[in-house]
Amino acid sequence: MKAVGRVLAGLVFRWEAVLVLLIFAAAFWSTTLSDLFLTRANLLDLTTPYIFIGLMALGLTLVVVAGEIDISIASILAVSVVVLGQVFEAGANVWVAAAVGLLVATGLGLVNGLLVGVVGLPSLAVTLGTLAAYRGLAFLINSGEGVASFPVGFTNIGSGYVWGQQVPIALLVFLGAAVALGFLLHATRFGRYLYAIGSNREAARFSGVPVTLVRVAVFGVSGLMAGIAGLVYVGFFGSTRADAADGSLLDVVTAVVLGGVDIFGGAGTILGVVLSVVLVSELRNGMQLDNLGGDTQNIVIGVLLLAAILAGNALRALQTSGLRARIARARHKEVMRPSSRTEGIT
Amino acid sequence: MRSRKLTVVIGVVVLAAVAAVLVASVGSAAPQRRSAESTKFFLIPKFIGIPVFTLNGVGAKAAGKQLGISVTYNGPTEASAAKQVPFIDTAVRQGYNGIIISANDPNAVAPALRRAKARGLKVVSYDADVAKDARTVYVSPPDTQSIGSGQVEWVGSQIGYKGEIAILSATTTAANQNAWIAVMKSTLKKAKYKNMKLVKIAYGNDNDTKSAVETQALLQAYPNLKGIIAPTSVGLPAAARVLQQAGKCKTIALTGLATPNSMRAYTKKGCGKKFGLWNEVDFGYLAVYVAKAVMDGKLTGAAGQSITAGRLGKRTVGKDGVMPMGPPLVFTPQNIDKYRF
Repeated sequence: MKAVGRVLAGLVFRWEAVLVLLIFAAAFWSTTLSDLFLTRANLLDLTTPYIFIGLMALGLTLVVVAGEIDISIASILAVSVVVLGQVFEAGANVWVAAAVGLLVATGLGLVNGLLVGVVGLPSLAVTLGTLAAYRGLAFLINSGEGVASFPVGFTNIGSGYVWGQQVPIALLVFLGAAVALGFLLHATRFGRYLYAIGSNREAARFSGVPVTLVRVAVFGVSGLMAGIAGLVYVGFFGSTRADAADGSLLDVVTAVVLGGVDIFGGAGTILGVVLSVVLVSELRNGMQLDNLGGDTQNIVIGVLLLAAILAGNALRALQTSGLRARIARARHKEVMRPSSRTEGIT
Repeated sequence: MRSRKLTVVIGVVVLAAVAAVLVASVGSAAPQRRSAESTKFFLIPKFIGIPVFTLNGVGAKAAGKQLGISVTYNGPTEASAAKQVPFIDTAVRQGYNGIIISANDPNAVAPALRRAKARGLKVVSYDADVAKDARTVYVSPPDTQSIGSGQVEWVGSQIGYKGEIAILSATTTAANQNAWIAVMKSTLKKAKYKNMKLVKIAYGNDNDTKSAVETQALLQAYPNLKGIIAPTSVGLPAAARVLQQAGKCKTIALTGLATPNSMRAYTKKGCGKKFGLWNEVDFGYLAVYVAKAVMDGKLTGAAGQSITAGRLGKRTVGKDGVMPMGPPLVFTPQNIDKYRF
């Protein structure tokens, strides 16, 4: 009984549980906004326009867990889609072009990684620089209207449906990526290294974690995810302009922070980020169906983000106070048994 | 380890809940169309919150009132094609009959508009066009030729068609600006304007401060300057302010494109005595009349078709389904108070 109680208490105090509650609350609110909300077609489709944001958020999650930040991802997406467009227009098979786009995205991510991990520059400064530089590069490669003549077989990644034309392929791509990155972060040595580096980089180094390698690699992963987001972006919007995904960075960072990932590193789960992507898409969809203005929507999302940070802080404070109480109890016991204590000292 | 078990538990709970909701909503899988009662159009500007688009919305709603159509005006808060698409998709789901859009990227909104057309919605673009097959008619601003040559005439008539002139543009990459400048250059080659000399093209980046600094630089570098053309709604008022502060309104003629509201104070004091713009209210008004005609099957986008658009009168479709909205308005100290936008 006691164990069940502890599990339940743990559940309530998990950020993911809060997000699930918020998702249901938002669903309830949305049904009051519009009776079109609670239809299967709408529920399945509501995340589709935001999948590219979600994919970038998944990649950024790993970076933030490692105690770093990557604000260049939207620019990496832009470079990879214009490269994809140019290679395709030059006559290559669209899948070859897509592979080139992914390679370029990973490469640009690795450049960030080298500057941060090997040269030792702060990631905020590095990716602020590459945010501008990569976007400029995208405009250098193509400052025109971009390419828009992709075959349907390819654009299905972003705008196709399976299973009776109901389930968006983009959603499956997102869930697949979430499972893959969830495995990488929560079940591999690489993932444990990320938490260790994010909690205390020096301690991790002295414990034998290949800090430099891991930090370079995680930016590569982030770049690759921006590239995959680019494929979905091209699939959904059917356009490869250099201003692709401009202005989406705020949404990506919101998804990560609202997902409960500690912005100082060392904590956070993929599940939390997936849930926060669902929550934000759901809210936007509901407000959209009620024709609430874009500015009202931004206020609601912004307040939600602030509330999330406040609640997260309160939650952490609660947890630490619980921990302190437990430590105090343990100490108390020790005091009651002085013999064991002296034993410990000698 | 405990935390991972919890994570799994929560994951299962979420999946079960989502499945439950999906099953529960099976009965109402098809979106209920509530459109039977009335016709609804959705106007999506590039972004909301600036006067010109708000005015488009005002005009569109006025036209809707006359035609018995309810018009919704809404869009993203920043100029992003990616953020326009959710508005298109929800308009389809909500059972709107038509979409009127000013596109941030002609191609990026096209797939969503094609989806909308496939579901029976009528699509009309205005202000900034979309890919041709994604709409039926494009209501365009006054054509490049009349805007470009018009401004040369407006400044020329003030300076006796003689002397040095300069252009204060927006950014070097702005397509509409560059097209107008090209027309201005070719217009200046005509006999009527042969004594006017273009000495400089400055770029104020559609930024008030930069535009003012560039104007000051023009005054210093070209003491014999007789006229300035500023075809940008940011650059023109900035230039007027600089001329007023320098006391040069009498010696330098100023023209360009801007809203009458932003120029009223200067124009009445003789700074920028002649400038132009198309009527943004009429722009939205016309777009709704066009969308209604498309819905009624009166317009299919073929060249030569025409409609009577309420108080604006007859308008005709040109090549490629483009319908220009007519010549620009010209504002002077005498007539400027008639226009409030």
